[in-house]
Order: sequence, then structure tokens, then C-alpha cells
Amino acid sequence: MTTTAIRRALLYAVLLGGALISIAPYLMTVNAAFKNTRSLFSTQAWTPASPATFSNFAALWSQYDMSGFLVHTLIVAVAVTAGQVVFCSLSAYAFARLEFPGRDLLFWAFVATMMVPQIVTLVPLFLIMSHFGLIDTYRALILPTVFGTPYGIFLVRQYFRTIPMDLEAAARIDGASTWTILWRIMLPLSRPIMATLATVTFINSWNNLLWPLMVTSSERTTVVTVGISALQGQYASQLNIVLTAAAVALLPLIAVFLLFQRHIVRSIALTGMK
Amino acid sequence: MTDNREGLTTAPARPGDGPAAPTRERPFAGRPARSRRPRRRNLRRTVEAYLLIGPSLVGFLLFLVAPILGVFALSLFSWNLIGTPQFVGLANYRRLASDGEAWHALTNTVYYVLLNIPLQTVLALALAIALNRKLRGGKVLRVLFVLPWMAMPVALGIIWNWAFDPRSGVVDHLLSLVGITGPNWLTSTGWAMPVIASVNIWQYTGYTMLFLLAGLQAIPQHLNEAASMDGVNAAQRFFKITLPLLRPSMFFVLVTNVIGSFQLFDTVFVMTQGGPGDSTTTMNYYIYQQAFQFFHAGYAATLAIVLFALILLVTAGQFLYFRKRTVYDFS
Repeated sequence: MTTTAIRRALLYAVLLGGALISIAPYLMTVNAAFKNTRSLFSTQAWTPASPATFSNFAALWSQYDMSGFLVHTLIVAVAVTAGQVVFCSLSAYAFARLEFPGRDLLFWAFVATMMVPQIVTLVPLFLIMSHFGLIDTYRALILPTVFGTPYGIFLVRQYFRTIPMDLEAAARIDGASTWTILWRIMLPLSRPIMATLATVTFINSWNNLLWPLMVTSSERTTVVTVGISALQGQYASQLNIVLTAAAVALLPLIAVFLLFQRHIVRSIALTGMK
Repeated sequence: MTDNREGLTTAPARPGDGPAAPTRERPFAGRPARSRRPRRRNLRRTVEAYLLIGPSLVGFLLFLVAPILGVFALSLFSWNLIGTPQFVGLANYRRLASDGEAWHALTNTVYYVLLNIPLQTVLALALAIALNRKLRGGKVLRVLFVLPWMAMPVALGIIWNWAFDPRSGVVDHLLSLVGITGPNWLTSTGWAMPVIASVNIWQYTGYTMLFLLAGLQAIPQHLNEAASMDGVNAAQRFFKITLPLLRPSMFFVLVTNVIGSFQLFDTVFVMTQGGPGDSTTTMNYYIYQQAFQFFHAGYAATLAIVLFALILLVTAGQFLYFRKRTVYDFS
């Protein structure tokens, strides 16, 4: 009995230690954002900022168009996410439920491209964008992924296949069109996977550095990732400002994730197992 | 109206689509409408399907397939991103053979994958096993472990630079508590890559754990219980029962993580810019440099093809390795 208790205590100690390591960088960064330069260097990272100062935020916003970066990123992320949810659902329904010539070939072609590294398509994609005169526009940031990605289509198709056919069959007898079935039956039953797809897409879009780095150049289209990496180059000596920018970039995603974490944790099983 | 009814009979009756599959076609089997206009109905159905996948298909062809084909064409050209591309045949590939830096970037990438994948997988598996039991607060712990996954790599790079900073970093502070003086982590050619690997291990271990945990939960409890009653010890149960049955999840996790690891870019870009020296220049970073700093777009395309081929090779190897091993089905 006592050995079980000791083992259990040890297990908890290890798990709590791991959890602490998982969140410590977040906590220390947010903490550092409220410290002034002197106390950032004179106190330990885990010492609470006291008195807390907002001077870093003020400096960040006065030297940089931080609001602009956030708004630009939000525009791109929301557009891409909305597009993905709509277009992935449409194709996923066709791949999961309709029979048409070329279906399997197309589906596996989509899935196979998941193995292609992003860097492979980057230079030709840049070429396409510059051919259409889209360099340094929002369209260049949004277009490549707004029509759905192979990953998104795969994810939603797998989920649609778990929804029983009976409901759909009954609706068809009542004369429902494909559009009605998709809108009234499939989507309401697919909220968890839609939440997952939306969250994953939003996160990927928010965090994406390489593509925006290449196709944008003016302040007008600078997204958070590009802005922060420029800021880091320019203000490397002002650690408190750079860390504050990192905190500002990280926190919105934590909010989004905590809002939808229940769905994500559950739907992970689905992608991994099938 | 009749057209919609007919739609029912056209739904895919493939095994595994759901329990309703076998009964689906029967009610309408004798209807005359079904045999009268099959071709027109097929056409309608096909048009509808292609309308549904249309937007995705256009995006797929234009922004994924065309660039993939384009990269092969581009590798035969010399191009500075602005002027007119010059056809150079296989010159870029010949150049590759004598490019020591490319070779170095390749070995750096493989080194990173070997640092990252085994450690991350073992840690994730240990966490998954620990969490695969009834624990008070287990769900909260699970969420905390996954929290690093969504962090922006650019911001993480900044935070890690700070953590490993010799002057104000938390890592050296902690080491000094036990009397160790840390090396200058990010300016040391030996330590820079392990530090970068540690960022990614921190970021993705919890996420990997979720997949392995899902796999563990799919293993029937009674197998372990029966073995335990037969006197099989814990270590044997782990290697002879749990690990073999976890293969589908393990396969998925390894394939996706290895593909991702071969593409390391963001953390390198922010933390070390490939340095010190070229000790953290990965393939992705080198390709980026060739294309957008030195404006050798054709050569960058050639390098991208090499990276792609390498990833395909490694993935195919993983497929073969996992394929020849038995798959168990408990459903």
C-alpha cells in the first residue's frame, strides 16, 4: 500500500514538473513584459515583476506599428480560416459521400502532396504571384491556402465518414438536396472537427513566417511574425521590448486554443488512428 | 423531386462507410426511373461532385501542383528572380555535387532530426503512459502539456535566446545553483544545434503525446490484465504487448514529425541565422539563402528537389519498416 502511494506521489511530481516546464516560458515572458530594463537584468526570470510597469508596451507601440501588425495578421488568419472551413467541407463531403469518376485518384493526389515540403513550392509560388502582380498584397498571403489544404480536406473527410448514413438517406427521401444535407445535417454534426480545423488553420496562419517574409515588403502588409523578426534584428539590445513583442504575439493563440482545446484533444484521436 | 430521390441510390455503398450501407439500395431497386436515365443521372452527380471540389481543386492545381512541376523546370534554369531565366541544362545539379556548403546543410539537417525525433518520441511516450490512467487533474495536465504546441516559433526563438543568454538567461542561473558554468550556448558551434533542437522538443512533445495517448487508449485493457495474471512482468508487457499494439500511432507520429523536422527554418532564422559559422544552417535555411539572399533561384529549386527526394526516401523507408510488421485489429 505504501509503495503504491510513493509511486503515485512520484508520478505526480514528474507530471507536475513536466507541466511546469511546458508553461514556464510563457509565464516568464509575460512576467518579463512587465519589468523595466534594470529589473529584467537584476532579478531572476521567475521573480514577479514588482512594481509592474507598462512602459515596455508603451515603448513597443510608440516605436512600432504593433497594432497594424496584429490587424494585418488577423485579416489574413480570419480570411484563410473561413475559406478553409467552407472549401474543405465542400470537398470533404464529395470525397466522403459522392461517387464520381476520378474520386480516388484525386483524393490520393491531395493526400500525397502532404509530403511535399513547403520550401519546394515556394520559389515557383513566388513566381506565380509576381506574374499576377500580387507581390506585397493580402491576396498573395491569403490565396495559396484559402481554398483548402490537403490536410484540412483529409481531416474533415475522415470525420464525415464516421457520421451514419441513415440521417442523410432519410433526408434524401424527403427530397433534400446535397446542399441542404451538407448545411442542415453534416455541418451541425461536425462542430468538433470544424473547431479543430479552424483552430489549427488559424494557428498555422498566425505563426507562418517563411511565406510572408518572401511576398511582403511594405508596412502595409507586415504581419506579426515578419514584424517581430525585424524588430529582433533592430532592437536586439532592448531585450525588454523584444520580449514584450513576443508575449503580445503569443497570447492571442493561447486564448484561441483554450477556447477550443476540448475539441482539439478529442479529434486528435481521429487523425492519428485512421 | 425524383432526381433527389435517385440521389439516394447513388450514395457510395462501400464497406466501412457505416452500418447503413447494405440496406441503402434496396428500397429503390425496382423503380423504373433508376434504369431509364442512368447516364444523365451519372452526369448530374459527377457535375455536382466537381462543383463541390471545384474551388479546392483550382487552388490545388494552381498553388500546389503547378509549383511542384515548376520547381523541376526551374532547376534547369539560372535565374536571379528578376531578369530572364537562362536555360542551363543540368548545370545546377553538377554544381550541387561540388557544393560543400550544401552537403554541410544536409548533414546539419540530419543531425537535427536525429537529435529531435528520438528524444521527443521517447519523452512523449513516457508522458502518454503516465497519463493513460485515472488521475485526478489528468485532463488539466494534458492541456498544459499541449500548450507549447501553438507557440509562434519566431516568438519562441526570442524567448529561447533570452533563456540561454549568458548574462540574464534562466538556464545559466539554474545551472549556477548547482555550481555549473554554462557554455556560451548559442555562440558555440557545438551547442547551438542542440539548443535549437530543445526548442522544438519543448514545443512538440505534448502534441506528439496526444496521438500516442489516443493509441494507448485504443489498446484493450484485458490483454495487459491477462498477461499480468500469467505472471508477465511490466517490462515484458511493455515491449511485447503495448509497443507492438501502438504501431499505428507510432507510425503516424514518426512519419509526420520526421517530415516536419526536415523542414526546420523559423527557429534557425530567428535564433542563429544559420550560425555560428554554418553550424545551424539547415537545408531549408540554405535554400532560403540561395533563393532570396543570393538570388540563385534555379539552384535553390535544385536544392529543394534534393530535400524533397530525401524526405520521400525516408518516408518510404518508414512505410516499409512498419508495413512488414503485423497490424492487429480489435474492432
